[in-house]
Amino acid sequence: MRSSMNRSSTPPRSRTEPRPAMAWRRRALLLAAAGLPLVVIVPATGKSQGEPAGFIRQVADQALRILAARDRSEEERIAELERLLERATDLDLIAKLVLGSYWRKATPAQRQRYLELFRKMIRKQIAGNISRYDGQRIEIVGSHEIDDRDTMVSTLVHGVGNEAPYRVDWRVRRYNGRYLIIDVVAEGVSLLITKRKEFRDIVSSSGIEGLLAAMAKKVEGQEAAPQARS
Amino acid sequence: MATALLLASILAGPSTAGEDEDDPLEPFNRAVFAFNRVVDGLVLGPAAELYGLVVPSPARTAISNLLDTLGAPIVFINDILQGERERAGITLSRFLINGSLGFFGLFDMASEFGYVKHDEDFGQTLAVHGVGEGPYLVLPILGPSNSRDAIGTLVDSFLFDPVRYLASERLQTVRTATRAVVTRHQLGPSLDELERSSIDYYAALRAVYRQKREAEIRNGRPPTDAAYEEIFDEIFDEPLLDPSPLED
Repeated sequence: MRSSMNRSSTPPRSRTEPRPAMAWRRRALLLAAAGLPLVVIVPATGKSQGEPAGFIRQVADQALRILAARDRSEEERIAELERLLERATDLDLIAKLVLGSYWRKATPAQRQRYLELFRKMIRKQIAGNISRYDGQRIEIVGSHEIDDRDTMVSTLVHGVGNEAPYRVDWRVRRYNGRYLIIDVVAEGVSLLITKRKEFRDIVSSSGIEGLLAAMAKKVEGQEAAPQARS
Repeated sequence: MATALLLASILAGPSTAGEDEDDPLEPFNRAVFAFNRVVDGLVLGPAAELYGLVVPSPARTAISNLLDTLGAPIVFINDILQGERERAGITLSRFLINGSLGFFGLFDMASEFGYVKHDEDFGQTLAVHGVGEGPYLVLPILGPSNSRDAIGTLVDSFLFDPVRYLASERLQTVRTATRAVVTRHQLGPSLDELERSSIDYYAALRAVYRQKREAEIRNGRPPTDAAYEEIFDEIFDEPLLDPSPLED
């Protein structure tokens, strides 16, 4: 009943829209995406619809279990989340997609440092976000095939309070018989595009060395500095 | 102020279409961005934090609902201008229901009846009618925008906003200030996360703003974004993925 009152005609996705009940939600730059690794993680309410959706369900459930296990040490949980991330995504591939054509221009040494720093940044983000989980859950609301490789799985992330859920789409690629998450789109904001624009902007103004230096500086912010300047 | 900015953007002329982000006014924008960060650190941020600490959650929801109800006429006009009749009907119903049963807009009763809130603004209306976004702009206090959305904001707040005609100047100021604090409070966690995770916060916010606006203009319809798809092709169909060979 309710869904009929939502958005008019339009394709199936329109129905899966979040209820933007909060004021100014439109402006809410929902950056769960900015924390890809955190993978806003959550348990089941919807039934899986096809394999990629089932895959997302699985990953979300596992991540949620880890996040909710507050009795265990933070280090242990971070390590476990990292392992899950390695299984569920291809970080090297994402790193390359972020750099785009500049990857080609980088030297082998630069490429290696870039991939290392990219990983470290993700790790830092996981560590910074792990304590922020407060009981959100994920509902899978649909999935559609983009092409013969990729499927977009749509989910709603529900908070604990009465705030409106928000929409997160997961781009899943079938690769060598397994599934990999290659992008996360939160309320229309793609993590990959956001990172890509930011990184490419830095490269175009200060070169690949400039980007590497900036990444190293960012990573150093919290951990002991890995010295890798050339 | 905003007019001056618009003028500046027009004077800046056509953009120099960079390979990636198109931001011909970047030096100016970065200066305003830096100014906004100072204002945020001194005034808006602390005010928003205080608001979260002092005002209990149900009251915050009520305040947020009230602001929504006051803004509904603007959404309604833009629904109409975009030819979205059904959505206009929803906005009107929400206004009538929440304005009466919802106790002057403090409670969102309309959502209980299935009339779920959506937003529209004149910037989106212009976009629907084919107006391009123009140069990216960072407005003082208001933050990320572009010349189209800046015009939209002006039209919404000076032409379409009934509060402008009905309320005293003091009430208008109270409303504007409240809205600023509430918005900042709601965006806080997202913005903090973006800042933490980015190397260049300015560039990251610009990328997010553009994507967010595009999604809003589509009204939740699936993107028809060839550029987005290209990202995934670009590298995959080349031997770039091989970690070994390269040309140097």
